[in-house]
Order: sequence, then C-alpha cells, then structure tokens
Amino acid sequence: MENIIEVQSLAKLFANQTALEDVSFQIKKGETFGFLGPSGSGKTTTIKILTAQMAQTDGEAYVFGRPAHLLKDPAQRGRIGVLTDNSGLYERLSIYDNLKLYCGLYNVPHSRIDEVLEMVNLKDERKKVVSKLSKGMTQRVTLARAFLHKPDLLFLDEPTSALDPVNSRHIYRGLDQLKENGTTIFLTTHDMNEAELLCDRVAFLNKGKIQLIGPPKQLRKQYADNTISVELDNGQIEVLEKGDKGAQRMYQLMSENKVVSVNSNEPTLGDIFVEITGRKLS
Amino acid sequence: MTFSLKRTLAIFQKDYKDVSKNMYVSFTVIVPLLMAFLYGMQGDMGVDMVYTVINMSLSLVGAYIQCSLIAEEKEKNTLRGLMLSPASTLEILAGKSLLTFVTTILVIVFSAMIIDYQPENIVIVGVAIALSTLFYIGLGTILGLVTKSVMEASVVIMPFFFLFTFGSYATLLAERFPVLKAAEYMPNTQLIELAKEVQTGAGFGDIWSYLAVICVWIAAVFILSYVTFKKRMMD
Ligand SMILES: Nc1ncnc2c1ncn2[C@@H]1O[C@H](COP(=O)(O)OP(=O)(O)O)[C@@H](O)[C@H]1O
Ligand SMILES: [Mg+2]
Repeated sequence: MENIIEVQSLAKLFANQTALEDVSFQIKKGETFGFLGPSGSGKTTTIKILTAQMAQTDGEAYVFGRPAHLLKDPAQRGRIGVLTDNSGLYERLSIYDNLKLYCGLYNVPHSRIDEVLEMVNLKDERKKVVSKLSKGMTQRVTLARAFLHKPDLLFLDEPTSALDPVNSRHIYRGLDQLKENGTTIFLTTHDMNEAELLCDRVAFLNKGKIQLIGPPKQLRKQYADNTISVELDNGQIEVLEKGDKGAQRMYQLMSENKVVSVNSNEPTLGDIFVEITGRKLS
Repeated sequence: MTFSLKRTLAIFQKDYKDVSKNMYVSFTVIVPLLMAFLYGMQGDMGVDMVYTVINMSLSLVGAYIQCSLIAEEKEKNTLRGLMLSPASTLEILAGKSLLTFVTTILVIVFSAMIIDYQPENIVIVGVAIALSTLFYIGLGTILGLVTKSVMEASVVIMPFFFLFTFGSYATLLAERFPVLKAAEYMPNTQLIELAKEVQTGAGFGDIWSYLAVICVWIAAVFILSYVTFKKRMMD
C-alpha cells in the first residue's frame, strides 16, 4: 500500500540541543498514526518539518511521495490540514465567520461549515464570538477548521489536551468519521487511552528518538509479563506467576473460596513507556 | 503564478468585520480627522500645514494600522493559518493591505474636505497620494512582521511616525546641516514638494521625478516585506 508519509533518519538540531535524532517511520494511506511522548520529546518539531514550517538538519522526510518542504507550494497545501498549539482564531469574530474565511481560502462551499460544526458538537454555538468561548470549545473550533476542506492528510498536535472526557469523545467520533472517509491522520498525544482508542499504530518518542513502534495491541502482548493478579476476599491482590507453582497456589485459594476475581497483567501503553524509558508520559 | 481574487477578498472581508469591532483601530482613524478639524479652524493653511495632516494620516492609518493588523495576526497565531492555507504570499499580503488602503484614502479625503484643501490638479495629487499610501502600507507590513505583538508594534512605529509626519521640516535646516539634505528624498518630502508645484500650475511633465522617487521607495518596501514574509513562514 501507498506510503503517505515516509521519514528516514530525520534529525533536527537547535542551537543548544538535539530535538530529533535518527527518526524513521512510514505511515500508510488511511492509517491513524500516534506519536507518543512527554513534553519536549520532539513531537511538534516533527510536525513542523512534515508541514514545511521548519527545515530538518539531516535525513529525509517525504509527504505524498515528495520532499516535505515542497508543501511550501500553496497549490499543494490544500491536501493537508494542520492543528497545532499555535493555530489561532480571530477572537472578535464568531465561530461561523472564522470558518467562513477558511471556506474562502480553501474554496469550500459555506454549507460545509455546519457539517464540521456538527462533527465537533458546536452547531448551536455557531454565532458565538470566539473570545467568549471556553478553552475546550476553542480547541474544537480549530479542529473543525483543520478538516474543513477534507484534507487527505491531517496533522493533529495534541488535539484533546484542553478537553474534558465528554468533549474528547465527541472528537473521537468525528475522527472516526474522517477515518472512514480514508483520511490519513498523524496524531501526537501524551494520553495513552486516546492513543489506544484512535491509533492503528503508535511510536514512542523520548528525547528525540523513537524507542518503539507498532500496533498498540501487539505492543501490549509483547510486553505482557508472565503473571496474573488475583483479588482476594480480604481485599488483597496476589500476583501469581504462570506455571506449576502458581497453579498450586491458585488451587489452594480457589478451594478455600477466597478468590473474588482474576485479571491478566497486560501492560497499558503507559506502563510500557515507563518500562522502556524510565519516564512517565505526562 | 496564479492570483486568486477570491482568497484576497476573503481576507479583506474578514479584516473588515474584525476591524469594525476593534476600538483601538477606530480610535486611531479619528486622530488625523481631529487634527484636520483643529488645523482647519485656524483658517487659511499653507501646503506645508495641509501635508502635515495628510502625512500624519498616511503614517498613522497607512503604516500604523497596517502594522498593528499584521502584528495582531502574529500575536494571536492567526497568520500561521493563512500561511498554511493555499493562499499565496501575494494573495495574503494583498488581502491584508486592502482594508488599510481603502481606509487611508477615505481618511485623507475626509481630512482634505475638513481643511478645505483644493489641489490645482486633483489627478496628479490623487495618484501621488495613492502611491504614497502603498509605500506606507509596505512599511507597516514590514514593521508588523518583525514585531511580536501589537504592543511592541506600537512602540516600534513611533520613530517612523515622527519621521514621516514631521520629518519634512528637517529640510528647512538643510542649509546649516547638509546631512539633512537627504531628507529631501524622503517620500513624505517628495509628496509635499510635488503638491507645492501642483499649486503653481505644474503638470505631469514637471513632477514625474517626484512620482519616480516615491515609486522607488514603494519597490524597496514591497520587496523587503515580501522577503520578510517568506522568512516568517519558516520557524
Ligand atoms: N524554535 C526552537 N528553538 C530552540 N529549541 C526548540 C525550538 N522548538 C523546539 N525546541 C526544543 O526542541 C525540543 C522538542 O520540542 P517540541 O518538538 O516542541 O516537543 P513536544 O512537542 O514533544 O513537546 C524541546 O527541548 C524544545 O525546547
Ligand atoms: Mg508540542
């Protein structure tokens, strides 16, 4: 299948530090790819390079099969949508008027505005002035703006960082809709649940290096340890190793009727991140 | 290269709505009109006085408002959205200049009516003022692009405001300080000299050199603002 993004040994050096080092990955058409990493790990820098807002120091970055810097050509920019923490809105204008400007810039009919507002659950607020919106609402408007023109490739830099769970779920539903339409999504987040829910594949980024890459399910299996947890009737949790010894102990507990529940110990993505990097995600 | 009028007008429309809710800009527009009113009450004015008001309109509305509109786009991170859209540099800069251009011309027309300025040749003076407006818009664009906030822009514009509003008086001292002779080639001084000749019955054949100097200034600020904009597209 066609690679929408292809990155080879990408590196970015700033005056006094390395932001990215030997980063390589591919994203296929229609895939939702998650870039996971704590603050300062180089997520935004990667997006800036891929959207021609910044030049890399070394390595290759291809978008739609062409060097990423060619996205500087205005004619090419209609194919991508970008949401970053520096996507601002016109504060004196209404939600509707903000999106109307972008309809003009991207040559999209105004009827599309209600469609995208529906997707982020803001249809009834369309006349509200942006300066009066909560942070979460503002973030939803910038998100709606990012996919107003139905881009083939969407870059979302921490799209739900200011949202409560209810609104996040709204956004997830909207993103699912985009996925169904074949949109390729490059998403950064430090929310592990979000990554599990949305991403076909994730990459763990730490201090500018990719530590691990793969589908969330496969990673969890790969890092599952050899134990199960048993919840006892006195509230205690006992961890048993799989094998004869564990089985004997389990037999004993079961026959004494002390077992309330048994759980597998598959790690969460967050657990795996801590195990690999020795660092928490957020 | 293609130029889409639709995109340029979309930005203009947005600016129009935005500015109509911006007290700060409305206040700035009123200042030159107020000056015209105060000067006008003193009765008959010389060309120098008239052009103090006109040059003030140019630097305050043409340069300063343009500068703060651009600086605000930077401060609020909205310029990035325009840059990432299919709008070209030329479309964005034209869209961002259109409102300032129209407003500057309107303010000057109203000021001229208030002080009852009647040029002998309205076509020449009209062309000269329109060209001057382009220069000031280019200047404001550059200053807006190099500053980070509206606040910073308001400070940076100050020396330019004084230079272009009152700088023409420097030529009066040129005999004692030959350095100041350079001030003769400033676009504001050129505009005044042109207007003076027009009042004595000069036609296009007599004043083309003034227009040429102003055009050189326009070319300079346009090239510089284009280059500065391109630079700002990359972090
Ligand atoms: N323009 C810049 N100049 C210098 N250093 C920068 C710049 N942008 C980012 N950095 C540094 O590069 C590293 C990665 O930053 P960033 O990509 O923003 O991380 P993230 O988005 O994962 O939080 C950080 O240490 C940050 O301080
Ligand atoms: Mg970031």
